[in-house]
Amino acid sequence: MKMEILFPEFCNLFGDIFNMKYLKMCIPEAELIETALDEVPTFVNEDVNLIYLGPMTENTQEKVIKKLLPYKERIEELIEKNVVFLFTGNALEVLGKYIENEDGSKINGLGIFDVYSKRDMMHRHNSLMVGKFEDIEIVGFKSQFTMMYGDNTNSYFLEVEKGIGLNKESKLEGIKKNNFIGTYVIGPILILNPLFTKKIMKMLGQEKEVALKDDVMAAYEARLEELKKL
Amino acid sequence: MKKSFRFYLALWGAKIGTLLLKIFRRNATFFPGKFALKVCPDFIGRIQKPKTMIAVTGTNGKTTVCNMIEDVLKDNKYDFIDNKYGSNIDAGVATTLISGVSFMGKSKKDLAILEVDERSAPKIYPYLTPTYLVCTNLFRDSLMRNAHTEFISGILTKYIPKDTILILNGDDLIVSNLAPENKRMYFGIDRLDTDTEECENISRDIIACPKCDTKLVYDYVRYNHIGKAHCPKCDFKSPEIDYLATKLDLENMKMTLKIGEREEEYDLISDNIINIYNIISVITVLKQLGLSKEQINESLKKLKIVDTRYTEETVNGVKIITHLAKGINPIACSRVFDYTRKYKGNKAVFLIVDDLHEAVKGSENTSWQYDTDYEFLNDESIKQIIIAGARYLDGLVRLEMAGVNKEKIVYERDELSALDKLKLEGIDTVFILHDLYSMELKDAAKNKVEVMIKNLDKKEK
Repeated sequence: MKMEILFPEFCNLFGDIFNMKYLKMCIPEAELIETALDEVPTFVNEDVNLIYLGPMTENTQEKVIKKLLPYKERIEELIEKNVVFLFTGNALEVLGKYIENEDGSKINGLGIFDVYSKRDMMHRHNSLMVGKFEDIEIVGFKSQFTMMYGDNTNSYFLEVEKGIGLNKESKLEGIKKNNFIGTYVIGPILILNPLFTKKIMKMLGQEKEVALKDDVMAAYEARLEELKKL
Repeated sequence: MKKSFRFYLALWGAKIGTLLLKIFRRNATFFPGKFALKVCPDFIGRIQKPKTMIAVTGTNGKTTVCNMIEDVLKDNKYDFIDNKYGSNIDAGVATTLISGVSFMGKSKKDLAILEVDERSAPKIYPYLTPTYLVCTNLFRDSLMRNAHTEFISGILTKYIPKDTILILNGDDLIVSNLAPENKRMYFGIDRLDTDTEECENISRDIIACPKCDTKLVYDYVRYNHIGKAHCPKCDFKSPEIDYLATKLDLENMKMTLKIGEREEEYDLISDNIINIYNIISVITVLKQLGLSKEQINESLKKLKIVDTRYTEETVNGVKIITHLAKGINPIACSRVFDYTRKYKGNKAVFLIVDDLHEAVKGSENTSWQYDTDYEFLNDESIKQIIIAGARYLDGLVRLEMAGVNKEKIVYERDELSALDKLKLEGIDTVFILHDLYSMELKDAAKNKVEVMIKNLDKKEK
């Protein structure tokens, strides 16, 4: 099994990289491929089982878009082929139509999803979140300069119970298409959500328990209870 | 900017407010400025300011640097205003400036020392031109407020006034590139035996050359992005250091400072690399104000790092060290964890780093724990780690992710009860690592550990 982390030397904000370290702990036999920004991604020429992209700075977003644009069709093909993707934080914006700056200028994205985002660099949004994914509840944090717009009614990741969805008016969070999951939730989402990690593992054909099961479950249950009281 | 009627209204209101607050023995370090800014939003621009203004900014160390500058100046009979007891955002700065003018708005002091929050740059620097601006370092900080270093360095470069002379940490590649058009001088520390070729920290925030995007080559790494690097493709490289600490002698607590061709010897008041950077920045500032080496060193020798940040005490042969480990601030915590593991002897660590300020809002965003090098606590010399507070379960998981054996970890919700499980046998030092908002808890924990050591000694006798 191959799990590819795209550009970890840049796309590593907010501790998100530990999602992959944790997944590797859960599936020790998996091969973790770290692809640098100046390398050709492994998924271009080989089949991989999971592709991960974490949050990045605004300048890095432009570099990543430039880097991935030649592989747009390959990414679309892999999404159709049910390869597991996990894009966290503003990584999702890279695959949207465009990112709009405060002055109205636009940075074109890959345009794989029919959504766009707007930056407001002097007003950072922070919130805590509880949302439903299939039959499980997911807890998490949001911290972002952007809001995303577009219709995700038929392609959302979470139905939000507490917090916001794609934007402050939305209750539908992120994008899910086949096994592609893109979410604005940042931080160690897999460590915080062992039930979700188990689902990801199932998507990867791994029917086993998560690492540190009892302790991550205790932390998850405590946080879920705490957030529900808010 | 001229003084308008609105300005005087704001000034007089703030002055009267300050007087009333003092009469009622309330803190007058924030609200007078807040009031003034509400009445007159460009108040900072209109108020008469001291001729020389030193501003200190950066992720870590700005309070310590300001405190040291102020203490040395006081010891040398300088008269100045400062925001030591006030806030470091626009309202705190305004309050300090108000304290420095007469009722008619005439400046009473010639010198100001101002700690300035880096995120507040857009609200302060358009109205105030520091003569010198010190930047200690720029690291990942609260991700909720500061997002990332590129954002913070971007706003600093945008808003730092063109006439301000910069005093920058030349070993910090993010800091050394701030406001490239401004006049500047650099301080730094020469290569150390402990520097490495590989970065052992989780985060390093400058990977690519800011000029041509090529991956930088680090000649050596001290921690995170602190060190020396160059671009293999263009002429970008770490700057030449103007105030360079050489010959760090931690045994005798001395260092040599190379200033051009001249060398001066200074005493060190801390063996922590972070504080050594702070001391060098202080010396660099004081030199600009015209103080001699003797004046600086004699006063520096008398100082100690303030008790809220670091204390040490020995009880019956066991040392108790309290050290501020600012929650939500990954690099501040990582530096303290590194200091702890490298401290001589066997250690027990009591970890209370939850951000109580955030906890009040209901629950803390704990993502910062995964930007923090908890891996440093996975050290043979650390025999026990007690983690307590609202986020104790998250702390346990983070320590396990860092590879710490669960048998070494005590984890409990209640902080002081958790301390009951402290095992002192064979321990040389107990470290109490605490957040900024846990001062009372830190003191209570320290008292409890003292009693436990004394009781253990009685039992042994």
